[in-house]
Amino acid sequence: MTHVIRTEQETKKLAGEFAQKLRGGEVVFLNGDLGSGKTTFVRGVAQSLGFHEPVRSPSFTLVNRYKVSSGGINEIVHVDLYRLKTPDELRALALDEEIGRNDAIVFVEWPQNAQGLLGESTYSIDFVINGDSRAITIRQQSLTPHQPM
Amino acid sequence: MRVLGIETSCDETAAAIVSEYDGSFVIEKSVLASQAKIHAQYGGVVPEVAAREHAAFLFPLLEELGVPRDGAGIDALAVTYGPGLVPALRVGVEAAKALAWCWGKPLVAVNHLEGHIYSVWLDGEGKIQNPGTKIQTTQSNSVEFPAVCLLVSGGHTELVLMRDHGEYELLGMTRDDAAGEAFDKVAKLLGLPYPGGPEISKVALNGNPRAVNFPRPMIESGDLDFSFAGLKTAVRVFVEGGEVGRWGGDLDIADIAASFQQAVVDVLVSKTLQAVKKVVPRSVILSGGVSANKLLKEILESELRRVAPEIPFYVPELSLTGDNAAMIAAAGIMRAKRGAFADPLTLVADPNAKLN
Repeated sequence: MTHVIRTEQETKKLAGEFAQKLRGGEVVFLNGDLGSGKTTFVRGVAQSLGFHEPVRSPSFTLVNRYKVSSGGINEIVHVDLYRLKTPDELRALALDEEIGRNDAIVFVEWPQNAQGLLGESTYSIDFVINGDSRAITIRQQSLTPHQPM
Repeated sequence: MRVLGIETSCDETAAAIVSEYDGSFVIEKSVLASQAKIHAQYGGVVPEVAAREHAAFLFPLLEELGVPRDGAGIDALAVTYGPGLVPALRVGVEAAKALAWCWGKPLVAVNHLEGHIYSVWLDGEGKIQNPGTKIQTTQSNSVEFPAVCLLVSGGHTELVLMRDHGEYELLGMTRDDAAGEAFDKVAKLLGLPYPGGPEISKVALNGNPRAVNFPRPMIESGDLDFSFAGLKTAVRVFVEGGEVGRWGGDLDIADIAASFQQAVVDVLVSKTLQAVKKVVPRSVILSGGVSANKLLKEILESELRRVAPEIPFYVPELSLTGDNAAMIAAAGIMRAKRGAFADPLTLVADPNAKLN
């Protein structure tokens, strides 16, 4: 479903609603250009699951982690493959230790840089910039949370 | 005291030996995998995202450093335990634990950001340096506390109050993107190569910093936090919105780069001055990769001279602004002198390590 969003608050509200669907074990791909709202969306999910420290862009740090305690979810793993030049470098991130953990949600920005090495996601969310607004489209890719890599 | 420092928190694999005599540090030797001769010998170019490659490069680096296999002459080991990328940090931490255990030498766990702060206590390789490379001249020959530290790099933008060696308080930090990251992403928007910081500064030399009035995010927020995501978006909207053409072709990439750089520098300088006003420190320290930015150094220095001429201002030597192990060894020496050792049986890498 596509949502047209005009403000950061609306992005966070949508993220909060999305967070209610999460059970643990999901892998969420975030697709969209620089500044399209991917990190803001993760911030919204993290806040609605009870994380109240700053959620910062992992572009340089590659992987950020947010401890939460909500239902069976203990951690949000926020991955950003923006700096990856070749999928080979994915090994560096040891994501096989994160994907498939049933107490974590793994968000991946710039998943196309993995060139398919991460497998299927549970959800795929597209962020498209249209002037001052954003079109956010959330698609469920599989009915069950992610299987271990 | 003679300390072996090891740093593998993100992209760089680094090792160094630093000695301390009566409070002065000497970098005996400091090596980086990205620059070392080991490239050709051990597998070519180090990938940009190097994490697991640290394992392949660390011991060849120790060989290049000339560390004897029995650890003779090394008094202690210092290793970065966080913050950073877990698989990357682990390589350094596990190697340091193993060496400390085998050699029966004390181990010190150093926070990466603390290391960056200590880079101002160092001078280039082989040079004896009294603590503190001073830009402003004062009577004092060492960094006096409390010190306000602005740490800016690709992954960090933080204002830290250093009350004494090993005593830190976070005054403010970025809520979204780090300043260095904003440089890299804006460079990409402008079609400039990676790493974007030096490229933007180079191109900006030919541009007008007042050509475009980009936003100065949170400059008047009343706290000491930063935000650079909105500035990045403002540049994107400007570039993609055809504003450049609308100005009749007068504006080019150099003007945009110069205006963007000016906006970032204005925010960093303004917040640092606000911190100085709030805590009235006895020193100001600028460190981290972005401390290599000439405009930032010059404006921060001149503004500090204007509002607080009595407070000395310290920046690291250019070769020590990026990630390196000499700064980790220096921070480790100060921790070792206080007896703040880590247990090689239990130390673990902490990706979210906080300064304390």
